[in-house]
Amino acid sequence: MRSSWLIAIRELKERFSNGTFLWMMVLGPLCFLLFLFFLFKSGDEGKKSLKVLIADPAGLMDNKIVSSEGKNVNYYFIGDYLEIEEFRDGKAYQNFDALIEVNEKVLMNKKSFVFYRENPSADVKMQLKFQLERRVEEVMIENFTNLSVDQFRQIKQPLNVDFRNVYDPKNEASDLEGYVGLVFGFLIVLFVLLFGMTILRSTTKEKSNRIVEVILASVKPYQLMLGKITGIGLAALIQIFVWTFFIAIGLIVFRQYIFPDMFDPSNWEGIQVSAEVQQQLMETNSAERYNQFVDLIYERINFGFMFVHFLFFFIAAYYFYGAFFSTIGSIAGTESDGQQFVLPIVIILGLSVYLGFLAVVVPDATIVKYASLIPFTAPVVMMVKLAQGLPIGSYYLVILSLLILVVSTIILLWLAGKIYKNGILQFGHRAKVKNIIQGLKSK
Amino acid sequence: MLTITDVSKSFNRKLALDAVSLHVQKGEIYGLLGPNGAGKTTLIRIINQIIEADRGTLRFDGKLMSNEHLRLIGYLPEERGLYKSMGVLEQLVFLAQLRGMSKENAVKNANFWLEKLEINDWSKKRIEELSKGMAQKVQFIVALVHEPDLLILDEPLSGFDPLNVELILNELKSLKSQGKTIILSTHNMRSVEEICDRAALIHHSKKLVEDSVWNLRAAQKSGEFSIRFSGNMIAFANALWTDFELIDKKELGDNRFLAVVKMRGNNQINDLLNALMGQIKIEAVEERIPTMQEVFMNLISGKEVENA
Repeated sequence: MRSSWLIAIRELKERFSNGTFLWMMVLGPLCFLLFLFFLFKSGDEGKKSLKVLIADPAGLMDNKIVSSEGKNVNYYFIGDYLEIEEFRDGKAYQNFDALIEVNEKVLMNKKSFVFYRENPSADVKMQLKFQLERRVEEVMIENFTNLSVDQFRQIKQPLNVDFRNVYDPKNEASDLEGYVGLVFGFLIVLFVLLFGMTILRSTTKEKSNRIVEVILASVKPYQLMLGKITGIGLAALIQIFVWTFFIAIGLIVFRQYIFPDMFDPSNWEGIQVSAEVQQQLMETNSAERYNQFVDLIYERINFGFMFVHFLFFFIAAYYFYGAFFSTIGSIAGTESDGQQFVLPIVIILGLSVYLGFLAVVVPDATIVKYASLIPFTAPVVMMVKLAQGLPIGSYYLVILSLLILVVSTIILLWLAGKIYKNGILQFGHRAKVKNIIQGLKSK
Repeated sequence: MLTITDVSKSFNRKLALDAVSLHVQKGEIYGLLGPNGAGKTTLIRIINQIIEADRGTLRFDGKLMSNEHLRLIGYLPEERGLYKSMGVLEQLVFLAQLRGMSKENAVKNANFWLEKLEINDWSKKRIEELSKGMAQKVQFIVALVHEPDLLILDEPLSGFDPLNVELILNELKSLKSQGKTIILSTHNMRSVEEICDRAALIHHSKKLVEDSVWNLRAAQKSGEFSIRFSGNMIAFANALWTDFELIDKKELGDNRFLAVVKMRGNNQINDLLNALMGQIKIEAVEERIPTMQEVFMNLISGKEVENA
């Protein structure tokens, strides 16, 4: 055990003496924060105030169409025709973002044009369309029916068929939480692949510079393999902790200065918020908050819970896949020789990410249930399931999944040790499946 | 110290060692000789427990060898290997710790040997920054930094210049005088003659001979003497008559010669001297003992003929 620990510490020191590793420590979380920043920003898209001019010669819309949702679209009216060129180039119209043309024919041909300077987001388009439709509808009800607007809309209202999961009748879970789990799962895959390749490189390097013979005269091949996997794993864990630290700091900074919590009254100072709006904000359902991504990250994810499970699944997955990488390293003549054997592992890791995605979009699929227990795919799929929220009484599935993963890892490390022992002292050859079979058959 | 009994090992049905038995005594320098591919490295790896023997036993100080004995062994493999990006001292300490030594003692010993082999100025440098000779010295220190009782050195002199060869040979003698046991696998027969007490020759996976170096050389004596003299070569040849055979002769100048003579029948050196007395002026007489190189060649070629 002492020998494995000494080897692990040496590996760890070597990683820290590597410039790339240190750069990754800083650049990794920075890239991640940058990704989050743009994600948050995209959540803000369509929220900026839009000035829309309605050219309404028939007076159908004048002051009867008002922005009701989010107050981010402001309407202005002109009771005449307006040529598109004049709107585009006229100085008086440069402050307007869009022009809506509604003439008297709209009741007949049901056609209206919206000319924009910058293509509005889908949300804003939907909002404009909805409000125009409702106003035209009101005029048509008045002109062609004896019904009141309320009566007409009651009749027009389609039947709302809402599909709900029996384990989630209030529909609290959402895809977005699942995607956060998928990001956690993806990070497991990313770190397993990055540091797994480091195991492969380190093993082939020890073979090619022949230090392995000196080491094996002091320790057993199994101890060397375990020490190497552990040392590189420690480097990965430190990398993860540093990333977590920087990302947490970044998230706090974002919250404080860029994406403040608009539902926290302490943040209203200096902002003119009317009592009515304050009341509205307090009553707003969390799902309708102003930025779904900011809300997701800061309000809906239990990071403590997720991070603890992430660590357990990462460590188990790392040792599980680490056994493969060290086996390949031991039978490969050179690093490039070993890389051809890495392809199947990369495919399996890619498959686990795909199954994680499947768990987000079809959480109850049978294949997802199996994938959450199969050691190859469990780490990613289980992270998605954990983020989505497990039904009450089914946490045992997480324990079972982890248990299967740990037991498989132990068996795999034992088998890998046999192959490692056989392969590590074979020099100047190309890796072959035959070497693996020979290793497994050895005493 | 080390008793190897009937050790066999094969790789993929190819026999690498065939029932080899050796006995290495405490405090001696033991030469492990043999042509390339004879099985020496396999045997050395088995002693170091890097690989396991298929059959046979190894005893260290009378006890069956186990992991515990590894810390009592120092190993210098033929294929040198060090962590190239690691510092010299750091590497020595790490490898000594792997052999069970405490960090404090490892640092102390490493510094002692770095100073002794005159590379202490390089202790903070990475291996890749050292010359080949210096890296060889570091590799040599790796084998003995943890104070082993048994040193196994595979071609310890390769890569060294003549000055450093002397330095290493002197260190080996000094280690022997301290009671350390050394197994020396080498093709450098001069060093075997110079420092080995006993030796074994392995050929085609089998042990051919095992004896003291002197006995191995003496066993190959052919009764030849070299005689340096001044005088007349014809008178010398006449004096030999039919009792002795002139094998070789060389003129040294100023009527001085070096001749190689072989006894015939039951004649001894005294008979030769009696025959020559008065005919020439004898300067030196020496019995020709084959060098280890010749012993090696004779044994190997003899075996080849036998096998043919």
